Amino acid sequence: MLTVKINGKEVEVPQGTTILDAAKEAGVHIPVLCHDSRLNPFGACRVCLVEQVGMPKLQAACTTPVTDKMELITESEKLSRVRKTAIELLLINHPLDCPVCDKGGECTLQDLTYEVGVTKVRFDAVPNDTPVDHTNPFIERDIDRCVLCGRCVRICDEVVNIQAISFLNRGTDTQIGTSFDQPWNCEYCGQCISVCPVGSLNNRVYLFKNRPWNLESEKTVCGLCSCGCTVSIDYEGNEVFRMNEMPEEGVNHGYMCAKGRFGFDFMNSVKRETEAQITVGGEAKKASVTEAVEYASEKLKAMNTDSVAIVVSPRITNEEAFLAKKLADAIGTKNIFSTETDAIMPGATYEDVENSDAVAVLNINVTESNPILGLAVRVAARKEGSSLITFYPSETALKRVTTKFVTGNPVELAADMEKFCAAFAGAENEFTADAKRLLDAENPVVVFDAYNMADAYIAQEIQKACSKVKLVPAKAKNNSAGVVDMGFGVNAPEDFAKGVETGKFKAVISFGENIAVRTGWSKLTGALSKLELLMVTDPFMSDTAKLANVYVPVATFAEKSGSFTNLEGRVQLVSKAVDKGVVSDAEIISGLAKGLGTELPTDAYAVRKLIEKEVKLYADVQWDGGTVAYPSVFKTELAKVATTAAGSGKFYLYPASLRLHSGSYTRWSPDLAKVYGAPVLDVSVEDAKEMGLNKDDKVKLKGDGFTGEFVVEINKQVTKGCISLPEDFVETADIFSNGRYLKAEIIK
Amino acid sequence: MRRNIFETIFFSEILKGLSITLGYMFTKPVTYKYPYEATPIQDRFRGVQYIKTNEDGSTKCVGCYLCQKVCPSECIHIETDCGPKGERLIRKYELDLSRCIYCGYCEEVCPVDAIHMGCEWNTVDNTRDNYVINMKTLSQNYKDNVAGNWKNKHLKKKLVEGVQQ
Ligand code: SF4
Ligand code: SF4
Ligand code: SF4
Ligand code: SF4
Ligand code: SF4
Ligand code: FES
Repeated sequence: MLTVKINGKEVEVPQGTTILDAAKEAGVHIPVLCHDSRLNPFGACRVCLVEQVGMPKLQAACTTPVTDKMELITESEKLSRVRKTAIELLLINHPLDCPVCDKGGECTLQDLTYEVGVTKVRFDAVPNDTPVDHTNPFIERDIDRCVLCGRCVRICDEVVNIQAISFLNRGTDTQIGTSFDQPWNCEYCGQCISVCPVGSLNNRVYLFKNRPWNLESEKTVCGLCSCGCTVSIDYEGNEVFRMNEMPEEGVNHGYMCAKGRFGFDFMNSVKRETEAQITVGGEAKKASVTEAVEYASEKLKAMNTDSVAIVVSPRITNEEAFLAKKLADAIGTKNIFSTETDAIMPGATYEDVENSDAVAVLNINVTESNPILGLAVRVAARKEGSSLITFYPSETALKRVTTKFVTGNPVELAADMEKFCAAFAGAENEFTADAKRLLDAENPVVVFDAYNMADAYIAQEIQKACSKVKLVPAKAKNNSAGVVDMGFGVNAPEDFAKGVETGKFKAVISFGENIAVRTGWSKLTGALSKLELLMVTDPFMSDTAKLANVYVPVATFAEKSGSFTNLEGRVQLVSKAVDKGVVSDAEIISGLAKGLGTELPTDAYAVRKLIEKEVKLYADVQWDGGTVAYPSVFKTELAKVATTAAGSGKFYLYPASLRLHSGSYTRWSPDLAKVYGAPVLDVSVEDAKEMGLNKDDKVKLKGDGFTGEFVVEINKQVTKGCISLPEDFVETADIFSNGRYLKAEIIK
Repeated sequence: MRRNIFETIFFSEILKGLSITLGYMFTKPVTYKYPYEATPIQDRFRGVQYIKTNEDGSTKCVGCYLCQKVCPSECIHIETDCGPKGERLIRKYELDLSRCIYCGYCEEVCPVDAIHMGCEWNTVDNTRDNYVINMKTLSQNYKDNVAGNWKNKHLKKKLVEGVQQ
């Protein structure tokens, strides 16, 4: 421990602490501009200069580590002069844009100008004046306002690892941009926006919509994927203006992805329904929620209990899922379903991944499907002496940090993964060295797709061979784990399909699930529309809601309280920020239960108390960030599943993950839809050349039992002989219902 | 008290008093016969606001929300958005004159010299809704202030000068 005296106050700090951190410890404020505690020290702005007693030169607090017996002064006549000059120099070229600048009100430069007391600049102002760049669909870029702190460049490199932007030119010509002014080839994660201290990089979805001082914030958890990011919903009245990061908070450390940052606008969508609807004899009529619920419960009463099925979406809260289970009990049915199963449950936390020294990513494009998990994998992979082996049909963003990247068509890849698995058991093959790295590692981690049983089998075998391996099954939805914990994972999704097809189910109640676009269920639409009762709740008139006889519009995650369990098995609280005048699923469930003579609470806190009593896993869970202690990742021993591509055709077709969509919710975001609206067929450069395909060509896709028409995107990363399409679109759900991997033919 | 016999005989004190009254009878009156006559408006009078326009007729206001924030009676309501060319676009600018206390803070805070306190003070109307004025009216108010088009026709042209400066 080192003893440092700051402004006469003594503190003890460990070796390697910077002056800035020591000052924080001592409760002393030092102004900063270019520093961000999540990034490596940089020292570009010189705003943080402090005096060291006995040293003639001033020290930058953010980059200088303390030494023992160091004596520092952070406030003095000289320092305020120096700081003032540093800001004045920045203001020479800085345009006087504050009234129109979107950062106004939360701008570090504004704050510093006040703090150091600049009222007049002694130098002649030469404001920059270049046109604002609107080429990026999500980021407004006004390089005039840039103070060259380098935070955006550093976060894009150190955290996101995309290195999309960099410093260009030198001296007074220095700029942030891409080489040769190419458009940003970028993940659209918006991390750069979140760290920019000034209004140089702005969120175009929020652009000019409001001012920060008008907004109220509610800390909550994002409901768009299983990562479980802590975010702040900034709202005024009942309108959500942005979903913003909370710097350094939560498991995501304040990072977010494109869906959250730019896709939240679906909550305000004018396309959202406000009135319930009852359809009798093909005629839809508007009804009040009470009428709709009563109508449904009357119908339920007349029904044989075994012919009722309840489906919940993994988007609803734990509390709602629990209530839905109670409703099933009240009805007396065991037919409860979700897209999730209890076969595979969370096994490790982000921290485990970040601290890992050897990671294997099995056949999942984790930076797209689970962006924050992707960031954790990158942290692990970039550490000194650690390794990462990635298997995926095409190259992914992890390529830059991967020790070994294995690509190939899905069948080859499965064979490769099998070899890799065998290498753990001592087999000699090209993966022996890679397996050894995991075997020798202290904290090896394997990340795999929780919905791919063939990969899960391999993960299980690896864990058997190397017991210290921690497994991270990447679940998809915000509460994928939670709905299973509440009881909705006991039945296989296939049984639901069977029940509907055979006519066993006469009534289906779907809480939030968009059955019509789910792989494996999409072909049920015909049978669903013939049901005696199909009740659907959804914020939007979804493809399934259109088939329903009873439809009730419900709240999104910003409009209700509850909790979600993320892919780590971490339970986190969701709080209500706005009210859009629609009910939550919980209220509908208790309404239905009431019709059947059972009283259920709707208040989230009361339900949590019930959960603690009745769900063993949650008996003493800490609702605000505690992890659920799952006994094991796999419920039973998995059997080996052969990976085959069904059908005939020249190409291997596999489902791709999208960074801009994670199911059907985000499709209602006008901003995301503008960039990615309809599914696009990714084709490799070689194949495109061979077939004479161009970008944006419309082609027919034909396989055994399916056809489709898609727009072509030529993707450098795709492997020759492979093509990919995203899942969960109306156009593609039917295709992948035939199998995960397919053979297909492209017809021009 | 000793009294001056002369004063007692000739009531000179009364005459002194009457002479003042008499004197005023021949000076200009200081009161105005409102509503038959206009009351003058001083240079720094704070009347109904106007918002300046640029040469091309577009508003000078950039929608920075500062007046909304500073207004102590919360009578300004602004909504902005991103325009088609990526510019700051004012969707709505409303000022509720029935709430305004004419403090002039909005004029004071405006960073682009857009909103000003005008000379017009006649807001009499028979519905509350008419007290809510929008950007169109505020811009028109600018023209009226410049041209001296007052609701109160008695207002004198020369008062306009203060506005034009
Ligand atoms: S970046 Fe900050 S200082 Fe610069 S114009 Fe915007 S708000 Fe003003
Ligand atoms: S959005 Fe993300 S990937 Fe793109 S430049 Fe910014 S930080 Fe980099
Ligand atoms: S764009 Fe923003 S974050 Fe990047 S260097 Fe400029 S001021 Fe810093
Ligand atoms: S004069 Fe005062 S009360 Fe009236 S709008 Fe301006 S700031 Fe508000
Ligand atoms: S302060 Fe001036 S520029 Fe800003 S919104 Fe008000 S009138 Fe418009
Ligand atoms: S904050 Fe230390 S140099 Fe910028």
